Amino acid sequence: MGLREYIIRRLILLIPVMLGVVVLIFALLQVVPPERRVLVYLSGNVRELNPTVIKAFIHQYGLDQPVWVQFASWLNQLLHGNLGYSEYTGPVLYNLIRRAPATIEIVIYSAPLIILIGIWTGVNAAVKRDKPFDHASRVLSVLGTSLPSFFFGIALSAIFIATLKWTGTGRLSLYMDSQLTALRTVGQWHDYTNLITVDALLNGRIDYFIDALKHLVLPVIVLVFINTATLVRVARSSMLEALSKTYVIAAKAKGLSQKEVVYKHARRNALIPVVTLSGLIVGGMMTGLVITETVFSFPGIGRWAADAAQHYDVPVVAAYAMFSAIVFVLSNLIVDILYAYIDPRIRLG
Amino acid sequence: MKKMKVPERLEPTIKEIKFILRRIKDSPLSLAGIALVSAFIIIAVFAPVLAPPKPGFNPYLIPSDPSLGFRIEPSPPSPNHIFGTTTAQRDIYYACIWGARWAFQIALEVIVATVTVGIVLGLVAGYYGGFIDELIMRFTDIMLAFPGLILAMTLVTILSQVNWQTIDAVLLSIILIGWPGYTRLIRSEVLRIKNEDYIEAARACGASDLRIMLRHILPNAVYSIIIVASLDFGSIVLTTAAMSFLGLGAPLGWSDWGRLIYDGMSFVSGGLRWWWSWVYPGVFIVLFVLGWSLLGDALRDVLDPLYRRK
Amino acid sequence: MEKTASDEIVEVQDLYLNFYTYEGIVKALDGVNLNIKRGEILGVVGETGCGKSVTGLSILKIVVPPGKIEVGKVTFNVKGKSYNILDLNEPTMSKVRGRYISMIFQEPRAALNPVYSVGYQIGEVFQHHRKEEIIKAVIEQLKGEVEKTSGFKRHICKIQLSLYERMLKNPKSLRVRLTLKTPILKRFQNRMKTEIRNRTIELLKLLRIPDPERVIDMYPHELSGGMAQRCVIAMALVAKPMLLIADEPTTNLDVTVQAQILVLINELQKKLGSSILYVTHDLGVVAELCDRVLIMYAGNVVETADVMTIFKEPLHPYTQGLLESIPRPGKPFTSIPGVVPGLINPPPGCRFNERCKYAMDICWKQKPKLVEVAKDHYVACHLYSGGK
Repeated sequence: MGLREYIIRRLILLIPVMLGVVVLIFALLQVVPPERRVLVYLSGNVRELNPTVIKAFIHQYGLDQPVWVQFASWLNQLLHGNLGYSEYTGPVLYNLIRRAPATIEIVIYSAPLIILIGIWTGVNAAVKRDKPFDHASRVLSVLGTSLPSFFFGIALSAIFIATLKWTGTGRLSLYMDSQLTALRTVGQWHDYTNLITVDALLNGRIDYFIDALKHLVLPVIVLVFINTATLVRVARSSMLEALSKTYVIAAKAKGLSQKEVVYKHARRNALIPVVTLSGLIVGGMMTGLVITETVFSFPGIGRWAADAAQHYDVPVVAAYAMFSAIVFVLSNLIVDILYAYIDPRIRLG
Repeated sequence: MKKMKVPERLEPTIKEIKFILRRIKDSPLSLAGIALVSAFIIIAVFAPVLAPPKPGFNPYLIPSDPSLGFRIEPSPPSPNHIFGTTTAQRDIYYACIWGARWAFQIALEVIVATVTVGIVLGLVAGYYGGFIDELIMRFTDIMLAFPGLILAMTLVTILSQVNWQTIDAVLLSIILIGWPGYTRLIRSEVLRIKNEDYIEAARACGASDLRIMLRHILPNAVYSIIIVASLDFGSIVLTTAAMSFLGLGAPLGWSDWGRLIYDGMSFVSGGLRWWWSWVYPGVFIVLFVLGWSLLGDALRDVLDPLYRRK
Repeated sequence: MEKTASDEIVEVQDLYLNFYTYEGIVKALDGVNLNIKRGEILGVVGETGCGKSVTGLSILKIVVPPGKIEVGKVTFNVKGKSYNILDLNEPTMSKVRGRYISMIFQEPRAALNPVYSVGYQIGEVFQHHRKEEIIKAVIEQLKGEVEKTSGFKRHICKIQLSLYERMLKNPKSLRVRLTLKTPILKRFQNRMKTEIRNRTIELLKLLRIPDPERVIDMYPHELSGGMAQRCVIAMALVAKPMLLIADEPTTNLDVTVQAQILVLINELQKKLGSSILYVTHDLGVVAELCDRVLIMYAGNVVETADVMTIFKEPLHPYTQGLLESIPRPGKPFTSIPGVVPGLINPPPGCRFNERCKYAMDICWKQKPKLVEVAKDHYVACHLYSGGK
């Protein structure tokens, strides 16, 4: 089947999975008794409501109806963008959108680094097999998979933030942050993208660019180190396998130089499974973000979810879970399509 | 070397074992893995000896040292407290030792549960195929669409609303996020083995489905399960630690490595001043996970027919 | 036919090759001696594992780790000069491989890279070994166009002409390399690519591949075994090599396809005048195709003669055993008793000693040397070397 049919088929298969994701969250939410669940729909101060009022709300929001009716109305609400209210932070969707840019900023710097460093290291480790480079990269990648990201983050934080005071928590230093509010008020700063590094350049303020970048360094290092490890191992073994194939010997027998054989012939084949893994790693970064943002008090959606979990704030955590699942599923889809595009064996069937 | 009289039937097995031992001996990383894991097993088993608990109390609760008051600020390592203390003067050495036992307890409980469910569902799905296979696979797909930790967080949060203890909730959550992986693994092994000729031969001999599954398919899938399970030891402990770090795991005063780091995080603002409160538990986690990773790799080198004799 | 030194294009002398594996040192080649004459088809026959493929690869100095050539000489005579292949460095070997000596493989679709079209892979050989010829052809083309066209087009042609001439004179010229990298400018290569493409199509036609314009853009997995093998052969013949090493090229093909390929190889060999080192375990193919035959066993050459002699008067017990075991109607099945010895600790003396019905004491002590017992008939066996 051609590429187009393949894409369409994958898109169609997406629907049951998305539906399943939503159903699962709904099923989990049903575990929560209606008295607590109704609070999701209520904004404002909900802690002081007495049982009668709550009963009334339960009836009003149809939480005493049969399950499938509840599901239909819940899904309906979801599709209209109503993700409920959190006791602690207010409207869920609003918070999600408002806090997303901080997270996106981290991802924009981490993802390319993870992919580039991971692939380069893995491929070279395979080419230089059993030489010092290979051993060094294997040690680092084993370490990367064993090191808890929060431990690594805390260690970096203790050294670079608390002791050496090179940078700080959050997106900007306190001083710069307060200045920023002032700048916004007088109209000297426009939030074009809500990504501070980008906006700083667009507003012509290098000082903010540098400050924001300094605050991004540590979270990015943590995410990159931990996630590169898996990629390096897979890239290395994939490349080793490609190098042992007959077409590599055949290419050499044609008279191609060692460099051409390795980089034009072997690597192309080795990268195919690696590309898919890269996509999955990036799609799965949501977990790492929760921990990293917490360690560095970065005001993104990861920390929002972590705080909410600590307070047992159900709507926020459920929303974050759904969001993560959707991101992961979509990245799977993109990766599958990319794979089909790169590998002619799949593209041409 | 004098040749021992060995019954002929056992000769190939003896040769196998000798080969395995030689392979392990030649790889320093494998030896390191075995050493680490053995060390942790010894620590866990001998915890009551290495760090005697207070009589009458749950041994997993870290004792505080009243002689130092109940100060929040951790005390540095001293002869009485070789790793120092953390908030409320709880002894870190004690916590790390019992933390090892706790880690094993959690990991074993989770692995036993997830592997069992995985075997049952994987065998059924792989062997019978068809509708039931589709059903099981769709369900695992949906569960796997959620990143593990996040789903666990959601489960713990929700279970708190029905008044579950966090420890129990964490245990259940990790089991629930773990079984789909094993189901998939075992199913793919079953699919691979199902097509081998000896299965058809067994069927031709009149073996029942259950017998085929248990006597023929499962033993051949065991190697993969062992390799994945040993890597899982490490990742389960990492996940529990992460949950504790987020405040969702063990409660205050419990000897859980992650919890210790959570408690220690309040002191990070002091830089390296109270380093012992989070460095020691962290190192324990790293070594534990490292040991199991290396062991898993070593097992893979030795057991996986594809990798051997390269 | 008198054997003169200039007749031999490749000679292998006392080649020893070991594989350093985990279980021990596999002594794969134990002093291999062979020579290949100009224009002849030499068959190398032996069981799996006897070292015939490794010998072929060693002639190209392709040694797959954990293998290592211990001692030996591989002489290669071209244009009146003699070179020891094992002494040449990699950049030089890169000019030899594919150009003077090339190779085709057993599993054709494995020998082709799955992510590139076959046309691309054949084109690579053109790029590598016949670049000058192609550039000259393009230059002629451009000169012609410069005369015929005018204005803007003429101007473009002149610029392209100068680039190609520069490429010809100074292949590593900076200007050319920069232009090759810039997005729009590098399109000047297209003429060269078209020229290569045309020649590839011609080559595919020569190999009797139907519909070559379509096949050239196909990927290996889209081709049948026979078609793929023809493409691999095309790849090997681009630079009209002196020697083609064929490593069991028809073993994995259907019998009918096998016959076609054999006919094709025969035809092409006559047309190009190349020599072929044909590695196989199939005596039938040998009888059909080869001029001379070399029998290998466990890393040694045990007998060498022209094809008629080998079939009519096999001297080495192993050769005799092989011919005996060819199934014939009315004759009961026979085989050579025993198994090939492990090469990590091969038996001392002649490696065939355990299975040989004529084995004498000396066969366990001393390895027999390859000696000439009749005209162009060499055997390595104590029965014929005067030892009793």
